[in-house]
Amino acid sequence: MLKFKEWFSHHHEDNAMEGHITQKHYTNPYLIGLLLGIVLLSTFLIMGRGLGASGVLSTAVSVAVDKVAPSQTENNDFYKGYLGDGTKNPFKDWLTFNILGAVLGGFISGAISGRNKLMVEKGPRFSKGKRFLYAFIGGSLMGFGAKMARGCTSGQALTGGAMLSVGGWAFMIMVFVGAYGMAYFVRRQWT
Amino acid sequence: MLEITTTRHNHMIDPILSVWGWEIPVYLFLGGMVAGMMLISGYFLFKGRYKETNCSCYYLPIMSLVLLSVGMFALFLDLEHKLYVWRLYTTFQVTSAMSWGSWILILVYPILLANMLMSPHKLIVEKVPIVKKWQEYLLSKPLLIKNLGVVTMFFGAGIGLYTGVLLSSLGARPLWSSAVLWLLFLISGLSGAAAFVHVIAKNVYERELLAKADNAFLIIELFIIALFIIGLKTATEVQAHAADLLLFGEFASSFWVFVIGIGIIIPLIIQLLAVNHKIHHTPIAPLLVIIGGLILRFIIVAAGQYSHWFALN
Amino acid sequence: MTAPLFKFGYFNDEVSLIVAFVIGIFFGLVLEKGGFGSARMLAAQFYFTDMRVFKVMFTAIVTAMIGLFYFSWVGVLDLSLVYFGETFLLPQLLGGLILGVGFVIGGYCPGTSAVAISTGRIDAIFYALGGMFGIFVFGEMFPYITDFFYSTAMGKINLPELLDINYGLIMLVVILMAIGGFTAAEWAEKLMANKQSKARG
Repeated sequence: MLKFKEWFSHHHEDNAMEGHITQKHYTNPYLIGLLLGIVLLSTFLIMGRGLGASGVLSTAVSVAVDKVAPSQTENNDFYKGYLGDGTKNPFKDWLTFNILGAVLGGFISGAISGRNKLMVEKGPRFSKGKRFLYAFIGGSLMGFGAKMARGCTSGQALTGGAMLSVGGWAFMIMVFVGAYGMAYFVRRQWT
Repeated sequence: MLEITTTRHNHMIDPILSVWGWEIPVYLFLGGMVAGMMLISGYFLFKGRYKETNCSCYYLPIMSLVLLSVGMFALFLDLEHKLYVWRLYTTFQVTSAMSWGSWILILVYPILLANMLMSPHKLIVEKVPIVKKWQEYLLSKPLLIKNLGVVTMFFGAGIGLYTGVLLSSLGARPLWSSAVLWLLFLISGLSGAAAFVHVIAKNVYERELLAKADNAFLIIELFIIALFIIGLKTATEVQAHAADLLLFGEFASSFWVFVIGIGIIIPLIIQLLAVNHKIHHTPIAPLLVIIGGLILRFIIVAAGQYSHWFALN
Repeated sequence: MTAPLFKFGYFNDEVSLIVAFVIGIFFGLVLEKGGFGSARMLAAQFYFTDMRVFKVMFTAIVTAMIGLFYFSWVGVLDLSLVYFGETFLLPQLLGGLILGVGFVIGGYCPGTSAVAISTGRIDAIFYALGGMFGIFVFGEMFPYITDFFYSTAMGKINLPELLDINYGLIMLVVILMAIGGFTAAEWAEKLMANKQSKARG
């Protein structure tokens, strides 16, 4: 029987049978950029809109707040925007299905490249607990910032960037400014 | 629901039937899983794989028993007149799928118990010593075990196809009036069970075998879904409309994404790579197959209730 | 003009969700193949050791930008029907800054965290939980910052309109900027690699 730990790695008994499946290298960044551009372009051509990722989290938060304290969402345009008019499930949305696909696409790619593994991404000198804390803090800032800017790296920088949107470009420049400005202070986490 | 309600001349059935909640799909799903597990377990008994001490045929019967009981409890919750459930067993109606089903379900229990005699739990042997004698008798007769395997497979298939026939017999719903619905539910149950046994099997040979079998089942399932859709599309107008509900209507996104995409094609790709040793086996693909099977039942039940005979204005 | 297909009624809302799922699969595949499921790989951008984020993002933007221009030029795509958000300059500048700081602390952005979770990165789960917390805080604060959120509104505006320069010329500038950026990125990577090998010495 498979243990939870093995969900992302493999059966021990199969090792002999399967031989060693090596981890493949990441693909050339310019090729990846070209492919990502084609995915983005197809989205424009087929749907007339771009990609987005943070919308799903907003829907989840709005639904949760609506369940716990409906009075909170009633007078709040931000939550109401994600809840819709109540005629359909808020999760039955373009962005939800998009991210669901991305999760599975990532899994398939990781499986083929031998990179699916339960692990924590951090530098060697950083503890796991602190990494989790930093991830949570970073995530919170990202969530707040993405909502303030009306979109995240996918929605504003990529989509807006390709459409030459003023807001998209202003956003993208500030993302790099913020990240480079902060990088020095959290270097122990990564190096 | 009222157990006699099978034609559209009854109360609550036109234009849209909306009396079946989560209980029926869950029961249909568990019934399908048990059917598949009995087919697999029976096959292993028949092939003599019980000689291996870690053969899954030693623990599948008890699991089937538990899952079937949970499923029947869900079915029981759905009954309108719970106290009269015993009356189903005072009669046998040849033309009623419900009557066939209740009898098959009751007969399955002793068969599963006989399967469990192959290796009874220690506690039971202590409490009821005679079980030990029965076990010894059974194990001394290989031909009897072979026949037990055949009977197990037969009744497993019986449950599997019955879950589909149950819906097909309800003529008032265009989506369900298909002659391949039973086959679809049977093969979906088989693929779900193969996925499940693949994950829990202790025996490496069985695990590999079931991964390969599951791929075959998933491919067959795709063909049967195609047959199901083509059958509806080429039938009467109402049935063509019912098929459109799945193809690009109300249920299209759930059908294509969850049943076809997540439930069949993606796990099929992952498992094909895994059996060819391109990637490692993980329980992700089997889990997706099982979730897909559950959602298939929900969608067929929901879309079936939604499909109707005349246009809503 | 036949594209965007959805806007011209080639398929309905239900089918658009199926399209979303299929596009999502390719999105996830490309992100993972590019190494964006790894926070260390993403963070390396900000220490000049691996400039993948910049290279991928700008190649993608340039590709999609040229594609959009081409398809609208040959008359297949009606560019005015392609949705992009309105500009609210100050909130977007501030939001970008906060997100950038969060990026290097947390190690992901929303899209890449989805891929990181599905490839087994436990820290990405904390990141996504944090993301929901941040959105919750924003939602609770929303009534108090509504004025700022809608301030400096510039409408649906793109760079050529803002600067009153020809669309093609702006594209040329972006392409040249990208090529310049790629050259600088390659140079920075080499420099950092040399520095690191010397330090190990």
